[in-house]
Amino acid sequence: MPRRFFSKFVTDHRVASVSGTLCAKVIRPSVVSHLPALMVLHGISRNADELVELFEPEAERSGRRIVVPDFCASSWTHFQRPSRSARPDQALLALLSYLAILDPVFAGPVDLFGHSGGAQLAHRFAMLYPNKVGRLNLAAAGWYCLPDTSMAYPYGLGTDDSAEAELWARRHDLALPIYLGLAVRVFVGTGDTDRDASLRQTPDLDRLQGPNRIARAETYVERFRAAALRHGIQPDITLTPLPGVTHDVAHAIAHADLARLVTKSEPELALLATAC
Amino acid sequence: MPHNQISALATAKWTFSTRRVDRSHIAGMDTDFAAARAGDLILAQVESIGQHNRVQLVSGRPSNIFPGDIIVLACGARYAPDQFEGWAEIDPSGCDLLAGGGCMGRMVSRNERIKPATRLLPMGRLLDGAGRPMNLDSYTLPPTMRGGEIPVIFVLGTAMNSGKTTATAQLALGLRRAGYNVAALKGTGTGAFGDYNEYSDTGAHWVADFTDAGMVTTYREPMDRVKSGLELLLGHAEEQGCQIVVMEIADGLFQRETGALVADPWLRGRMSGMVFACGDAVAAAGGVAELARHGIRPDALTGILSCSPMAAAEAVAATGVPVLRKNDLADPAEANAFALRAFSNARAAA
Repeated sequence: MPRRFFSKFVTDHRVASVSGTLCAKVIRPSVVSHLPALMVLHGISRNADELVELFEPEAERSGRRIVVPDFCASSWTHFQRPSRSARPDQALLALLSYLAILDPVFAGPVDLFGHSGGAQLAHRFAMLYPNKVGRLNLAAAGWYCLPDTSMAYPYGLGTDDSAEAELWARRHDLALPIYLGLAVRVFVGTGDTDRDASLRQTPDLDRLQGPNRIARAETYVERFRAAALRHGIQPDITLTPLPGVTHDVAHAIAHADLARLVTKSEPELALLATAC
Repeated sequence: MPHNQISALATAKWTFSTRRVDRSHIAGMDTDFAAARAGDLILAQVESIGQHNRVQLVSGRPSNIFPGDIIVLACGARYAPDQFEGWAEIDPSGCDLLAGGGCMGRMVSRNERIKPATRLLPMGRLLDGAGRPMNLDSYTLPPTMRGGEIPVIFVLGTAMNSGKTTATAQLALGLRRAGYNVAALKGTGTGAFGDYNEYSDTGAHWVADFTDAGMVTTYREPMDRVKSGLELLLGHAEEQGCQIVVMEIADGLFQRETGALVADPWLRGRMSGMVFACGDAVAAAGGVAELARHGIRPDALTGILSCSPMAAAEAVAATGVPVLRKNDLADPAEANAFALRAFSNARAAA
């Protein structure tokens, strides 16, 4: 039996960039809405195909066009953040530019959703190109680039002796006020407390961002709010715990409606919050 | 027009600077070369080959030239310290090919490292149906009221061959990669397809130069005309749907028109960002100091300087301005920072 993502509404794409070739699937609902397109970024399990299946019903419900890039292991050893060894941001930009030729909705801004390593890439992409991003949805990032200078890059926007930290800090500098003005929705499972091998652990990271993904999400939200206020910006960031969810995106979607939460429009989310 | 001259036009090589000319307007020729002014279209024969053994064709490819070849060029001046200085004068007994893009006139000085100019025999000045000399200024982009909004990142430098064109093209590439509709423009200089093609190759949304504003060269043109040309190009960039402009200003800060532009409040009013190209740290320090005299601080240094980590470090130490390599300028993360700064500056200026 053919898998659902080979249906007529899911199309395959492959886009070359100076940083490498990136494959992606685009879900096009039968009736499209005026809502921005959504880009869904997988984590280190690289489960792009699974995310296509999980998001397809929500694309149909919301009318959103959804693109799911696939950073395959053979081409992308690293993809969670732009660095000297990998520039996933350039690949994502090339993908959006290519898709914008096919459908102007991808000219942006587009909403972003990322889980785990995908959340890392999502917020780092938004920090560099906040003008390309609508709403930023982050689920269960292992750690964050804090929007202040409390830690040197890549943990924050501070500098150390390295030229790379200085380079990236400078590049982020002008984009920061726009980034801090984005609507950011942070999600983390209430059971996502494991300190396993997939969680980066260093003494400084544990001390400054927290021991697990819940604490680190809380730190990020708090630092984001403080940074926004320092820039005279009213922060629009929320932290939503996902009851009973561990570090498993399929579980979060099946049992905590995560895909629905990130595809809902802001007014729908506001109504949901009022109802609760 | 004698029959043989009509035949000559049919076989002539039309140079790049004449690319906007509507050839159906040609109705005759005269030989009143003393009355020729910059931009007038001249039919000429190659007399002898000197520095330039090729001309740039309207089609965008170079063409070898040989004695006896017939070409159409524009009368114009030339400022090129690496080659010639020349004026927009046509001597009936023979004149000089000042630039391969299609600029002829009288050479008044020559860099001693290059050959004498290729010599041309003027055959006639092209006339339209009303008997008026045909001039590039009749073939400009149409007037536009737009252009006041679009942010402009200027690229200036210490001299010709300091890296301005590469910087302009690479920044345009970075901006295009970052998702912007970008215009890459050459604001001043002498018409040639090298820079134009290099800009176009980046995928810039729209490319133009001062020839599109009716000038074969901006050298020795009145400053008001030069600025009107820049405004025209910016207006069309906006009309073409561009979101941001990268504009190269030719030659060095002490060149006549570039110096005047830098000193002109118009430039500061239109500037949303600036890159300065130079060859070494001393040039960087000098350029930054000269710009500071006019209240301008570049956002980045680039050019030949950036090829040398040691020279770059010295320049940063001397000026406090970051040095970017061409790959940095083409990096969408860097280019986006330029764009965000430019949009912010443009909003503040408005």
